[in-house]
Parts: sequence; C-alpha cells; structure tokens
Amino acid sequence: VRDKLLHTPPDIDLFATERPRLDALTRRVNADPESVERGLAQLVLTIVELLRQLMERQALRRIDGGALDEDQVERLGRTFMELDKRMAELREEFGLDEEDLNLNLGPLGNLL
Amino acid sequence: VIELYAVVDADGPPLPPALSAVTRDGLAFVCAPAREQKLSPERLWEHEAVIESLMADRDLVPVRYGSRVEDEGAAARALEERHRELARALDGVRGAIELSVRVLGDRADASPKVEEAASGAEYLRAKVRSAVAEARISHAVHEPLERLARAAMQRPCTSPGELLRGAYLVERAGVDDFVRQVSDLQAQHPELRLLCTGPWPPYSFSAS
Repeated sequence: VRDKLLHTPPDIDLFATERPRLDALTRRVNADPESVERGLAQLVLTIVELLRQLMERQALRRIDGGALDEDQVERLGRTFMELDKRMAELREEFGLDEEDLNLNLGPLGNLL
Repeated sequence: VIELYAVVDADGPPLPPALSAVTRDGLAFVCAPAREQKLSPERLWEHEAVIESLMADRDLVPVRYGSRVEDEGAAARALEERHRELARALDGVRGAIELSVRVLGDRADASPKVEEAASGAEYLRAKVRSAVAEARISHAVHEPLERLARAAMQRPCTSPGELLRGAYLVERAGVDDFVRQVSDLQAQHPELRLLCTGPWPPYSFSAS
C-alpha cells in the first residue's frame, strides 16, 4: 500500500482512525435473496436520509436568512438531533454505514 | 464459472498467463476461472492487484469485484449487449488514471455529533460551521485540483474532521503536476492535512 501514497501530511496517522470497510461492495442496494431485508432497509433508509438532508438544508438556509427566532431555532435543532440519533440507531440495527445510504445513479452520479 | 476483471481494448498487449480474454468487436473482457466464494480483504486486494497489473500497460474499465458469469459464452453475450456503453466508458478513461485526495481539517469544523451538542441551537450552529468549512475547502482545494483533471467528483465526507473526499481522473502524463499541486496546496494551508493516493483504476469514472 505504501507505494500508493503520493502526498502525505507529516501526521498521516490522523487518516488511519477509521475502521476498515469493504467499500466497493456495499454501495449498491444488495439484491442477494439472503439479504433482501437488509437491502430493502437500505433502500428505505436511503430515501429517509435524502428527505432528512433536504429538510436540514432548508432549515439551515432559513436560519442563515435570520427568519427564525431563538426558540424556533432551538426546537428545529432538537428535532434534527432526534432524527440524527434515530437514523444512527436504525443504521446500526441493519448493519449499515452512512455511506451505504447512497445510491449510484449511473451517469447521474450519486444520489446524495 | 468465470470472474471478470476489466474491459480493455482487444488489440492491447498480451495478457499475463493466468488471465484470458473474451473479445467482441474490438473490446475484451479480461477474465479468469472463479475461485472460492468467501469474501475477505485479502481476496479484494488480489482482485485489485490483477487490475493494477493490467493498468500498468493498457487502458481499462475496472469491473466490480464479484462479477461472475457462467462461462465464456455468457461473457461474450454480456459484452455484446453492453458494447456501446462499455466502449464509451473505455473511451472516457483512455490515457488516464484515478487519483484520490482526502482532506482533514480542524475538529471544530467537523460535522456535529448528537452526543456532544449542548442544545438544539448549538447543534444547528455546528452544522452551519461544518457546511461552511466544506464549501471553503471545495473552493480552496477541490477546484484547483479539478482544473488539472479530465473529470472530478466529490464523495460525501464520513469520518470526523474530514472536509473533502475527492476523486480525479488525471492523464497519466499529468500525475506529477497534480501531485505537485497537492504539495503546493498543503504548503498554502498548513492548518489542513492533505492525503493523495493513487494511481488507482478509474473506479469513480466507470459508471456501469
């Protein structure tokens, strides 16, 4: 692997903190009959994640525009925290990574 | 059952002994008899090593690990059915390889963790900070590198403090310039950590 390093920062160890993953294998919805349930969960959670990100972007834009008061910002923030937490629990339950919640749309690139 | 490794030009240099080619109209699938099914990181690296050995002296579209067909006849049929698409993909990466660049920034710019946020408002403010930091890095690092590449794409950042995960399709002759640009950007931004790896088979630019 060493000869693949073309430019490295002095403290390259910072990049080595992630757990290894079999990346290329999971980026598509898995259609193996033995894991249909996981594949379906992956598809459903991908769509939920898409909606979550859209709503979040919308919220950040509204905050940025100064259209919300402190109470509203706090309530929105709490809601997104809860969603974030719940998504993490569901991913855990189905053994999915954040990167699994993305679909390769071929020539259109990735969904998220 | 045979395993597929890559799509190449049919008139390329001879293949290493363990591999064979199924050809149709100028294109070829490089394949070998499939081995045991059990997946492991070692098997993935072996698959990668085969593709990289081919990449050394020819252009190719890598085939995802685990792509198997019944026999050479089935491979030929697949090649025939998808000939246009595969030929276009091969043309798209001709003469180029993939380089990967990842950037780590300050932890303060990281996407917020639910467990660490003191309040809903603080959580959202941290979200804004990380979105701003990512946009800044995209402008300061991704854009100059994109200009040296035939094509480029950004993947979503997933690990803590990560601000950019970019893939670049770079001419073989342009790799040195690209790496020099990465070093220059590192020098201009001592607060960031830039990691550049490659050359990789053009996985990110072989939509198939």
